[in-house]
Amino acid sequence: MIMVSCELHTTLKNNYYRMKRYLAVFVAVLIAGVCFSQIKSNEKLTYAASYNMSGLMTQLAQVTMQTEIVNTSKKSFLHLSLEAATFSKWDKFFKIRDLYEAYVDPVTLKSSLYKRNINEGGYIKNEKYIFEPDGSINSTTRHKDGRETKKSFKIGSSTQDAVSIVYKLRTIDFSKFKPGQTTSFVMVFDEKEYPIFIKYMGLETVSAGNLGKKQCYKISISAKTDKLKGVDKNLIWLTADSNKIPALVRFSIAVGTGQLTLTHASED
Amino acid sequence: MRKFLIILSLFFVVFGIVFTALPLGTIAFLPVGLAIAATSLLIFISKPEQRKLPKWILLAGILTLLSIMGKVVFIQDKVETDKQFEQQKVDSKKQDVKDLEGL
Repeated sequence: MIMVSCELHTTLKNNYYRMKRYLAVFVAVLIAGVCFSQIKSNEKLTYAASYNMSGLMTQLAQVTMQTEIVNTSKKSFLHLSLEAATFSKWDKFFKIRDLYEAYVDPVTLKSSLYKRNINEGGYIKNEKYIFEPDGSINSTTRHKDGRETKKSFKIGSSTQDAVSIVYKLRTIDFSKFKPGQTTSFVMVFDEKEYPIFIKYMGLETVSAGNLGKKQCYKISISAKTDKLKGVDKNLIWLTADSNKIPALVRFSIAVGTGQLTLTHASED
Repeated sequence: MRKFLIILSLFFVVFGIVFTALPLGTIAFLPVGLAIAATSLLIFISKPEQRKLPKWILLAGILTLLSIMGKVVFIQDKVETDKQFEQQKVDSKKQDVKDLEGL
């Protein structure tokens, strides 16, 4: 009887641990599922970038944001890319081919690798940040003349790169926010950390390309830097659904104002 | 005043035509809009027998305006495939995977 009881106890104990393991796996899958439901792989968002020239919005370039899973022998990364290319009619005057990329953890969106390759009318700069596990960044910057500079610097544990921060913004549940409510991030750019302030401004309906008119969360973005100008002049409208797709972006920077309008959103 | 408006109208019409020919998109609306405004004022202040030239300038302005609108509506903006840039992306991705393996 004691033996049976002991066996039963052992079986129950084993079942408890097995259940705990299954529960942990279930929760991990659930968390991953929730995150993937917001930032899906093989998502492609295309925007028309316009710049304000003498009071008229003129379409200059196409901006494409893409996501895909990249596997290495050890783990999987979510590859986030943001590409800006001038429309062919502008190429003879001022050709832009910019590529911003980030490789992040698919669940936490924690940065592992960030790259910025810009070619703007002949101005070339290539930048690469490798996010080391000890919380430091090894940066390599290559200039047009072939000069290469290397630097290593420490960052905070929650600091994001300039690409993944856009996706991180999309993971915030704005349905729980009240107009005027704020939150913040820290972004690393040009080898410096910048606090980024996010202010929820309410709901607005805007045109979202092939998705039609969509109700969106209107978000104001500001930073303690002279790169962004004005108060509530840098705005992003995220669709008020589980995808939180950026439908419209208005920016005010040192050299002028402009906007990005979503023309096409797709998932392969 | 009339002579000044004739010069101004012609100046803006020529600018408008040049801007329309160049791939400057909606920016061309600016000189053409100013040309139409200046020409309308010119017609208003001109005597009926002096309105022949302003009417021709106005016609040129309206035709230029229509061609800009046609270009904006019917010609779709597209990005030319840059083979060098595409190759750079492929090469860069291979290097990225190598870098990520080391993490």
